Amino acid sequence: MSRILAVARNTFREAVRNKVMYSLMLFAMILIVSALALGELSVHEERRMIRDVGLFGIDAFSVLIAIFVGVNLLYKELSLKTVYTILPKPIARWEFVLGKWLGVMATLVVQIVVMGAVLALTLLVAGRDTGGGGPTDHGSDALQAVDAALPKALWLFLMNVTIVTSVAMFFSSFTSPFLSGLFTLGIFVVGRQVPDLQQLAGHLGGGIGQLLGFTARVLPNLHLFTPSGTIVGAERVSVHGQFVGPAYLGNVTVYALCYSALVLGLAVLIFRRKDFV
Amino acid sequence: MVLRAEDLAKTFRLGFWRRRVEAVRGISFAVRRGEIFGFLGPNGAGKTTTMKMMMGLIFPTRGRAEVLGHPVGSRAAKRRLGYLPETPYFYEYLTPEEFLDFAGALCDVPHPERRRRADRLIGRVGLEHARGRPLRKFSKGMLQRIGIAQALMGDPELVVLDEPMTGLDPIGRKEIRDLILELRAEGKTVFFSTHILPDVETTCDRVAIVVAGRLRNVGPLSELLSARLLATEVVLRSGGGEGSSTSASASAQRGSGLPPLPEGTRRLSGTEGAPGGVVLEMPAGIDVDRFLGAALARGANIVSVTPRRESLEDLFVREAGAREGPGASP
Repeated sequence: MSRILAVARNTFREAVRNKVMYSLMLFAMILIVSALALGELSVHEERRMIRDVGLFGIDAFSVLIAIFVGVNLLYKELSLKTVYTILPKPIARWEFVLGKWLGVMATLVVQIVVMGAVLALTLLVAGRDTGGGGPTDHGSDALQAVDAALPKALWLFLMNVTIVTSVAMFFSSFTSPFLSGLFTLGIFVVGRQVPDLQQLAGHLGGGIGQLLGFTARVLPNLHLFTPSGTIVGAERVSVHGQFVGPAYLGNVTVYALCYSALVLGLAVLIFRRKDFV
Repeated sequence: MVLRAEDLAKTFRLGFWRRRVEAVRGISFAVRRGEIFGFLGPNGAGKTTTMKMMMGLIFPTRGRAEVLGHPVGSRAAKRRLGYLPETPYFYEYLTPEEFLDFAGALCDVPHPERRRRADRLIGRVGLEHARGRPLRKFSKGMLQRIGIAQALMGDPELVVLDEPMTGLDPIGRKEIRDLILELRAEGKTVFFSTHILPDVETTCDRVAIVVAGRLRNVGPLSELLSARLLATEVVLRSGGGEGSSTSASASAQRGSGLPPLPEGTRRLSGTEGAPGGVVLEMPAGIDVDRFLGAALARGANIVSVTPRRESLEDLFVREAGAREGPGASP
């Protein structure tokens, strides 16, 4: 375990010292804070607007960062030949892959938490600016603005990037970062449409319907991580009102971890038979 | 035996048509405890591929290798060895302390001991002045030194160094050479590949010569080098005093100071009247005593007579000259 943690710590350190990462984070924060200005344009819907734009920013940038880091992770070790120094040490190849994955996940946790904190602060500021009455009312508005939906939404984003990172690492175990990025982005886009794909498969039927149905079953159902506006159980859920409960969060967490373990397992299978020439 | 390879072979499949390239074609050798073993060969001979197979980085197509009785690539084998890759590449954002701490953690060295070892090794390889500097700002020689330090973090019994002197200046090479000798004095076994022959002559107990993926020769240098005389180098100066080629007596004797040169003798440099004299190379089989006697009779001074026996370079060229087929690693 200490070897896996050593690789994870080193991967986290690499990400923390990467300037590209900071640039992406900066863009995300600019987008979140700029939602304040957008909120001004919408009458009585300031917080809704800020929340929508902010969550979109966190979702989009966390996925971009996951793809960027994930596809470069193993490839960089091979192209920079750092792996020649690491693998002759008493570490198994699967430990190395798992350590790299954990390091990226730690990076993503920090990034999502930081971006979430920026969004929460933005909502607090907006709540204070738009709230009526005395100081007490200001405080209650602000608290209302940052409710339980935000941490739940952030948790779902984290589970989403867990799968995206694993898929990116799987591709990067046998192809170039460009192709890995392209494939991962494709899977992300289609993965978000899995319910539509399933519906389409039912409508079409026949060979094409079966093929679409099979694709929808094999690809990760990333729509599960953005449930706002859909029916969960018998109720419509929304980040602006009644959001998903603990049972839903538990189920999608298990789904994300199992899918990631499966994809990472495939990446390890490829990596452990690789010749490092 | 610390390291044993038996019929180790590797064939790569390259390109769209999966062309076969035999990088290593069945190599067997054994390295004894406490010796410095040189692994020699021209570029593309298969040295690095062989070493990577022994490190578990490349899977052999055929054959097997063991480190202290454990199959290569196994955790037990990896625990007993330290490896410096050819032209080492490290995480450039780390400082030497951070890098050695990471290397120690991978070798399961406990935290307080890691710090102690890192401190000691940084001092030993002469990098105290660069302790807090990121590796991206290191010169090639400094990277080579930190590479050796990371190979020693696990306190290995076998140290494997792939071309450790490449790219180093004479002082850097001497430092690495001294370090290798120190490691042997500490009881460690050192296995290193190189094509810089003077380093081998001054450090290695035994050598293996690889050419085109095949082992040509293994053994102590003294046994591999032929004892027979190859040639005799003679330096002569005409009589008439120390180097004053312009003096009247020297001028008078010029042209008559040397007897006729025996057949096959080569004039390497100079003339007999020149301050440094004339340098002749006389092939084996020529009666050098008779020639020198005749030269003395004509008033020449003998500056030096040096018999030349086979050097490692001659052996290397002899073995490499007999190379066969494409054996280059990809």
